Amino acid sequence: MAMKRTVAIVEDEPAIRDNYAAAFTREGYVVRTYPNRSQAMTAFVARLPDLAVIDISLEDEPEGGFELCRQLRALSAELPIIFLTARDSELDAVSGLRLGADDFLTKDLSLAHLIARVNALFRRVDALRRPTEASQIIRRGSLTLDSEKMQVEWNGQVVLLSLTEFWIVYALARHPGHVKNRQQLMDAANVVLDDNTITSHIKRIRRKFQVIDPKFDGVQTVYGMGYRWVD
Amino acid sequence: MSIRLKLLLLGLATLVLPWAGCRYARDMESALREGEEASLQSVAQSIAASLQGRTDLLYRQPLPVLSSEDTQTEPAPVAKDDPKPSPYDLRPVLLSSQPFLDGYVDEWPQNRGAYHYYTRGQHRFGLISGVFERMLYVMLEVQDEHIVYDTPGGSPLDPSTFGDRIWVGFDGPDGHQHQFFIAATGPGSVTARRIETGEYGQLTAITETRILGALQPTSQGYRLEMRIPLSMLGEHFGVLIDDRNQRGADPVSYGTLRSDDLHTVGRLIVASPELAMYLKQFNQAGVRIAVSAPEGRLLAQTDALAVPNALLGPERGILAQLYRRFVDRPGTRRIIDATADIYDRERKAVIGSLQVSQTEDRWLALRDRALTHMLNLTLIISAIAVIATFIFAASLAVRLSRLRTASETALTREGLVTTFPETAASDELGDVARGFSTLLHRLNEYTGYLRTLAGKLAHEIRTPLTIVRSSLENLESEGVPSSARVYLDRARQGSERLNGILIAMGAATRVEEAISNTERVHFDLVPVVKAAADAYRIAFPQRTFATETPDEPVEIDGAPDLIVQMLDKLVDNAVDFSPTGAQIILRVRLDLLAAIVEVDNPGPPLAPSIRDRLFESLWQSRSGESDDSRPHFGLGLYIVRLIAEFHNGKAEANSLPGDTGARFTVHLAR
Repeated sequence: MAMKRTVAIVEDEPAIRDNYAAAFTREGYVVRTYPNRSQAMTAFVARLPDLAVIDISLEDEPEGGFELCRQLRALSAELPIIFLTARDSELDAVSGLRLGADDFLTKDLSLAHLIARVNALFRRVDALRRPTEASQIIRRGSLTLDSEKMQVEWNGQVVLLSLTEFWIVYALARHPGHVKNRQQLMDAANVVLDDNTITSHIKRIRRKFQVIDPKFDGVQTVYGMGYRWVD
Repeated sequence: MSIRLKLLLLGLATLVLPWAGCRYARDMESALREGEEASLQSVAQSIAASLQGRTDLLYRQPLPVLSSEDTQTEPAPVAKDDPKPSPYDLRPVLLSSQPFLDGYVDEWPQNRGAYHYYTRGQHRFGLISGVFERMLYVMLEVQDEHIVYDTPGGSPLDPSTFGDRIWVGFDGPDGHQHQFFIAATGPGSVTARRIETGEYGQLTAITETRILGALQPTSQGYRLEMRIPLSMLGEHFGVLIDDRNQRGADPVSYGTLRSDDLHTVGRLIVASPELAMYLKQFNQAGVRIAVSAPEGRLLAQTDALAVPNALLGPERGILAQLYRRFVDRPGTRRIIDATADIYDRERKAVIGSLQVSQTEDRWLALRDRALTHMLNLTLIISAIAVIATFIFAASLAVRLSRLRTASETALTREGLVTTFPETAASDELGDVARGFSTLLHRLNEYTGYLRTLAGKLAHEIRTPLTIVRSSLENLESEGVPSSARVYLDRARQGSERLNGILIAMGAATRVEEAISNTERVHFDLVPVVKAAADAYRIAFPQRTFATETPDEPVEIDGAPDLIVQMLDKLVDNAVDFSPTGAQIILRVRLDLLAAIVEVDNPGPPLAPSIRDRLFESLWQSRSGESDDSRPHFGLGLYIVRLIAEFHNGKAEANSLPGDTGARFTVHLAR
């Protein structure tokens, strides 16, 4: 590793911020922490981090994270951004905003999971810079799935999935026809969610595919059991 | 007792008014009676005073004769009437009807004591006389062993043909004596004749047509009834019987005429016909005015007792008769009397007495009319009062029941009703309704607060929990000594459980949000339920699952995901409350309007009191037998209800027949 990567944490709760910082530092990242949007933005303009973890609610701005994300995305199109929300019920709303974030997570996610995700995103950044090895490509009919770049294409068009969504699709598409129950999907996506959140993730995934192909029906519900991929 | 009934009884209390009216009518009746008696007395006294000294009116007097030799111009003084009674005096009774001249006693007073009897030896006759209008009637009952009739066709003046003869003698108004004889030739009508001496001394018998009579034989003799106009009569009157054993024989003569010259010895004491005329002017319906001689003999009367008063006739109609039954004292209708003595001119001697009688009808009619009017009025008022009270009571009851229904249903509905009935009313019921409404409003706020409390609480706890968990994770990486690791593990387990609790607490909110974002699709319920059952067989190996589904597809519009989620909650519940090894039945059936999903589980039955509340948010009453550590917030069945309502349906819970378990039924609109 040539140089240490920088992770920016924008979080107004000091204890959480410091705990996250400690964990990332332990993993070998350089961590910068900011309690609010203005401080974070000032620093970002001066120097971009390699990855940003942003809390939606920032001090006196209940949705300050959104604005920060938008400004950050304006500065850099490739910078991986992870959103943290206090409520998983906000996930739908957040994802619907098309902020260009790479993942949306709730705060009850464990540190290990969070770090795994950060690592994965860095891997993806690296993978996008070099040609993909064929062995990492899975093709299922119209689906092309690059596990290295964590990128999905349908009929040759890129489907903009968040990291969580990619992992769910990946878990399903790797073994077409096999039913994955919700717990398995949660494990694959490195999240702890309740059934409804998995359902809404599936729903979002379908919607994103349907933007490209309105007839998309690759993710099937097996009632009472879970979901499966069909070609 | 319902308010309606109470108020009705209250309304019926106004019936005391007619009762008071009856009491009043009786008092009025007494007062009326006293007043009427007093006025009747004064009427009697004033009529009596008007008759004071009018002996000429009371007693018939011959018209004064204005002759040249008689210089007396003033009417004969009363004193001339010798009051000394004589057995030969004739005192005719006042007849109530006109006797029919037939020789029978039918129209006469039946009282034998009214007859005067005259005897000579074994001969005897009874006499009764009477006056009707301007006629004197005389009835003779003669005892005669042998009735001897005159020879028919023979000369009435031939003594050899003489049979039994009756002589009538009187003085005329002019004072001259007149004698007539009645010689019957057989039963039936008889004529009276007088003997007139002609210019040359010849005798002729002249029939007097004004005197009529009839003779009838009886078992003891015969009876003679005759009629003489009072205008022919003067002060004296008598009859004489010539009783013969055979024609032409010497008669036995006896009677109230001198037998030698047939001169009258007894007076005719009869009321003046003018008296009746005089009394007639006081005649009124329902009133009788009678004048009697001092000895009690009725002289004249006008009797209109039986004539109903045209103006004040008794009130007709069922109601009026009914009222009378309430008011009238038992007993027959009475007649009230007032008596006054009639004095002579000097107010020294009583010359007669006057009696005025009046039926109660007269003033009872007055009373009845007042009574009827009053009672009709009070009855109408009572009826109006009762009807008004009843209507009021009914409306009150309707309002109360509306309030009751609203208060009963307010709590079981989705949310609480804040629009409570009757709150606009300005009376006490309105106050109650407003009180209820306020209470419900607060309860509503409270319930809403409770419903969102879990979500809010979950949100607020999440941040400190995140601090705890991230701290624990960091601590783990810091190389904790193995002696302390056990505590770290416990702390982590505790925080995991806390996290699970948070997820459960937010479940309802998430379902509500998920439902609001759900799109409806058309799908077949049967494969969904069957697939779910397959999953439950794996998830709950301690229970067996059976499905009962129709052969045909059961298609509804909705969200299969939500249906499965609903089944999850129902099966969770069924597993919790059923013993190990029990069979849980998942059933799909078709109703006319709805597709019905049922989950039956053996186990404890449902108490009726909790059935309606089971599907409320945060309601939990049953303690399940499962000992898993999953937290329960009474949201499972609330989610079932939310999903049922999303499908335009409803959820209900019942005990299985025989209380062998519970059945949860969800209706889903087709």
